[in-house]
Amino acid sequence: MQKIKRVLLIGITLSILFSSLIIVAAFDMTAEEIINMRDNNEYFDTAEMEADMIIASGKRIITKTMVALSDRKNSLVEFTNSQDRGTKFLKREDDLWMFFPDAEEIIKISGHMLNQGMMGSDFSYQDVMESDKLTDLYDFKIIKEEELDGRPCYVLEGIAREGVKVSYYRRVSWIDKERFIGLKEELYAQSGRILKETKVNQLEEIEGRWVAVDSVMENKLRKDTYTQFILTKITFNPEIPEETFSLQNLR
Amino acid sequence: MKKYISIIILTMLFISLFATTAIFAKMDIGGELNIALSGVLFRESEALTYPQGSLDLELYIPPFDNNQIKTAVYLYPNSATGQLDFMFKKLYLKHKFDKLQLTVGRQPISWSFGSMLNPVDFTPGAMVMDEETGSKYQNAIEAYYPINWNSSVAVIAAFPNGFEDMKWGIRGRTMLEGYDLTLNYVREAEQNSTEIVVPVNQRIGFSAKGDLGPFGVYGAIGYNFEDINNEDFTFLAGGDYSYFFESGSKIYFQLEYLSIKEERLSSLLGSLAILDTGMDSESNAHLLLSRTAYDINEFSAISLFTISSLNDFSTIIMPNYSNQISNSLTFNCNFAYFNGKQNTLFGPGLIGGVQEKPKITIEAGFAYSF
Repeated sequence: MQKIKRVLLIGITLSILFSSLIIVAAFDMTAEEIINMRDNNEYFDTAEMEADMIIASGKRIITKTMVALSDRKNSLVEFTNSQDRGTKFLKREDDLWMFFPDAEEIIKISGHMLNQGMMGSDFSYQDVMESDKLTDLYDFKIIKEEELDGRPCYVLEGIAREGVKVSYYRRVSWIDKERFIGLKEELYAQSGRILKETKVNQLEEIEGRWVAVDSVMENKLRKDTYTQFILTKITFNPEIPEETFSLQNLR
Repeated sequence: MKKYISIIILTMLFISLFATTAIFAKMDIGGELNIALSGVLFRESEALTYPQGSLDLELYIPPFDNNQIKTAVYLYPNSATGQLDFMFKKLYLKHKFDKLQLTVGRQPISWSFGSMLNPVDFTPGAMVMDEETGSKYQNAIEAYYPINWNSSVAVIAAFPNGFEDMKWGIRGRTMLEGYDLTLNYVREAEQNSTEIVVPVNQRIGFSAKGDLGPFGVYGAIGYNFEDINNEDFTFLAGGDYSYFFESGSKIYFQLEYLSIKEERLSSLLGSLAILDTGMDSESNAHLLLSRTAYDINEFSAISLFTISSLNDFSTIIMPNYSNQISNSLTFNCNFAYFNGKQNTLFGPGLIGGVQEKPKITIEAGFAYSF
C-alpha cells in the first residue's frame, strides 16, 4: 500500500512539474514564435478550396460561390454562381489579372484595385488572395492574453514592416493558445482608425491542422454590412501543375 | 428557318455525343435574360418608346481529354423582320496540345487591354465603353502558343464574309517591368469588287498597361496603312485611379485621350457612331473620354461616362445606375445625352441626310441570370 502511495505521489509530482514546464514554455513563447506557429498552421504550400461568400447589406443577402487554387505566392479564383460564372482572377505576386468570360479576354487590373472589395464583398482582392507569411510583412509583439469565446488567446499587435506594401498598417490578432489559429483580427489604418474586423465562427480540424471554415468580415467604416466566408471544401498540398498560375490557363 | 434547323441539329448532335459519357451528367445550361424599356427623344421628330428583350443562353460542357467545347447563343427580336432571331456567339472546339492551343469555330476575339476604346483591337469597335458588340464574334481559327506564364503568341484567321475572304492577325503578349505589353498586326479581308479596286487595309498596333505609383496607366499606338500613300497613325493614352473615402466607400476615375483618323471613328464607336459631321474625313478626330464610378453600397453603383470631341466640343454624357436586387436579378438604368452645335460630332444633325440624331436616349430594365 505504501508502495502504491509512493508511486502515486511521484506520479502527481511529475505531472505537476511537467504541466508547469508547459505553462512556463507557453509563457516564454515570443510573439514571433507564436505568429510563426500560426503561419505554419494557416499557411500551406498548396491548397485547393471551394467556398461561399455571403455578402450582406442591411436586409439584403447575396451569395457568390467560388473555387480557388493557391500556392505560397499565387492564387487562381474562379466564380461559379450564375451571375459571375466563369469570371476568374489570377494573382501573381503583386499583379492581378482578370478573365472576362463573355468576351474571353484577359486584362491586367491596376494595382490600386487590389484594395477594393472583391466582387462587392468586404474582402479586398488582397485579403482573399494574399499568400505572404505574416511574419514577412509585420513586426509582432504580445500585448495581452485573454479569453475569447471560452478559448485562451494571445493577443498580438503587428505593425507593418518598413518598405513592405500591405493593405493594413496595424493588425491586432487573437490567437488560440493551443491551436495556434487566429480567432479574431482587427485591421487598422495608419491613422489609427479601425477599418475591418474578422471573427471566426467555426473551426474544424482538417488534415491535422485547424482551419477556420466559417468566418465573418465586417467593414467597420460602413453600417449594417458584413461578408461571411464559408469554406465548403479544402484539400491541402494537392499537386498543382506549374502552368496553373498562368495567363494561358485563364483562357 | 434554316437557322432553327441547324440549332436543332446541333443540339441533337451534342446530346448524342455526350449521352453515352459521364460528361453529359455534368453539363449545365445558364444564361441571362434582359428586359428593358427604351426611349429616344429627338429635337425635331417625335419621341420613340419601345420594349427590348434578349436572351443569352450558354451550354456549359466540362472539358474532356484536353478538349473544350463552348456554345453560346443570343436570341433577340429582329426589328427588321419582326420575328425572333438568333446569333451564335460561341460554337467552338478548343484543343490543348502540349505546346499549343487550337480553337476552331465561332468565337469571341477581343484584344482589350483595359481602355474604354481600343483602336488596336482585332476588330475595332468589338468592345465600346466596357460593352461588347456583335462584331467581336467571328468564325475563326486561332492558334495560341504560350511561351511562359505571361508571354504568348496568337495567330488568328477569321472569315467574316465566308471562306473566300480571310482576315488574319497575329498578336504577341509579354510582361516587362510590371507592364503588360502587346504587339499585333491585322490584315483585313480583301474586298471583292469588280468595279472598284480597294487596297487591303492593314494595321500594326502596340499597347501597354501597368502602374505608375498609385495610378494605373495605359496607352496604344496604331499604324494603319493601305498602301504607301495612304497611311495614318492612331494614338491613345489613359489612366485610372481609385480614391478611398474615410467612410469606406470609393470613387473610381478613368480618363482617356484618343487621336484617330475621322473616317475610322464609325467602326470604333460602335452604337455611338452617329457620324455625319461633314468634317474632313482625312483629318484626325481628338476625343477625350472619362469614366467615374461610385459604389453606393455593396449592391448598387452609379457611374458617369463622357465622350467629348476636342475638335468641335460636342459631348455625350452617359450616367448609369445599377442595383443588384438578389442573387440573380439586377436593375440597370442607362441614360445618354448628346450635346453640341449643329452638325458637330455628337451634336444635332441628320444621319445619312435623312434620320435625325437623338438628343436623349434612356433605357431601364432588368437582367436575370440563371
